Amino acid sequence: MLSIRHLLSEKLYTIPSSASVRLAAAIMEQHHIGCLPVVDEGKLVGIITSRDIRRSHPNRLVADAMTKKVITIRPSASLWEAYNLLLQHQIERLVVADGGTVLGVITKAQVVAEFGKYIDPLTTLYRAEIFYQRAVELLEGGYEIAIIFLDIDNFGLINKEYGHVYGDIILRRTAEILKTVVDIKQDTLCRYAGDEFAIVTTRSLAKAKELAETIISAVAQEKWPCPVTITLSAGISGGRRSSLRNLTENPGYIIKHLVNMASLASAKAKKLNTPIFVADTIELRASPFNCCERILG
Amino acid sequence: MLPRENSGSLDFDRRAEIVIKISEFEIPPVQDVLLVGKKAPVGPEAVRRMVDAVSPEQYEVVEVDHDIFEAIVIKKSLLKLIPKEKLLPLIMEEGSRIADEQMVMKAQVRISIHVRRAVTF
Repeated sequence: MLSIRHLLSEKLYTIPSSASVRLAAAIMEQHHIGCLPVVDEGKLVGIITSRDIRRSHPNRLVADAMTKKVITIRPSASLWEAYNLLLQHQIERLVVADGGTVLGVITKAQVVAEFGKYIDPLTTLYRAEIFYQRAVELLEGGYEIAIIFLDIDNFGLINKEYGHVYGDIILRRTAEILKTVVDIKQDTLCRYAGDEFAIVTTRSLAKAKELAETIISAVAQEKWPCPVTITLSAGISGGRRSSLRNLTENPGYIIKHLVNMASLASAKAKKLNTPIFVADTIELRASPFNCCERILG
Repeated sequence: MLPRENSGSLDFDRRAEIVIKISEFEIPPVQDVLLVGKKAPVGPEAVRRMVDAVSPEQYEVVEVDHDIFEAIVIKKSLLKLIPKEKLLPLIMEEGSRIADEQMVMKAQVRISIHVRRAVTF
């Protein structure tokens, strides 16, 4: 769902490096495209963009006008990877290639538009799909991860007492607080559902607990526009890398169970009237459901 | 006898005059040095392909970081006489006095080595 493969158009236009800039410009104008991958004998050697064309004499060879350093991406790569690559290299386009074969070009506008479908309009946080995608990528990349599951205490009662408009204000403000506390280099934050938020982080379990404490403290200190105390309950779970290496289940399956553990830990925190409850790190050789049972006691 | 045409009441002649100048095509056409402007109609790769085709292995294409020029094509034999680190800045300095980014300039370079040696006996 979140791979870039489906952003590729059916028709691919390329040009050899021995062609003229004039021809490249004509092809781009005819097909209303902003760039052409430059391919010699089946091999990608560059990319010529409308910017390159504006800066070059039309008589020049494409070889003398093209950008030689091409940033490519696999068709199976996620929107997340594509978005980060575009930002990292400050470019507008990525050439999609599979094993040296050019499959197409995707633009920043396409990626941003597609990415927008996974942004929650109320809080402007990522939706859960992005969270899951990122968690899987981290796990596949060999990272040790922790998941923090947060929900607003008694949110249903607040909605009933003050109305949904006020409830929305609390959700937006809570999201703002969360954004200021997380570090985007190591944490991926999402609005999981309703009044629930989730963070997947590469911090250790202990550091994840510290982050949860900071969040809970920041929310508790916030001045809300009505006489009510807003508190959060947090559940934390973690995946141990050494165990994950021997794992046969797919990472998506593991993430779901880590989220489930964190969500159950959050419920446990509420039940115990404590702000945070940390579940065990997942024991992946055992059934994940056994882990859940241990948390529930 | 040229054909005569009638156009109303006026008569006129149409003539073609052909002037042919024939001279030998210089191989290589580049002479000693070619300075390629950044916005010139040909770029370094085109020049490289041209000199490789007409004079293989005789020229070196040096891409430069310069305000006006993008590359210099230079005869390798010249570089045996003087290192390119010494020669290229001189050529670019002189070339930039008269060229702009859109031009390709050719230059003839003659290098004489003057040697004075003393021996004791």
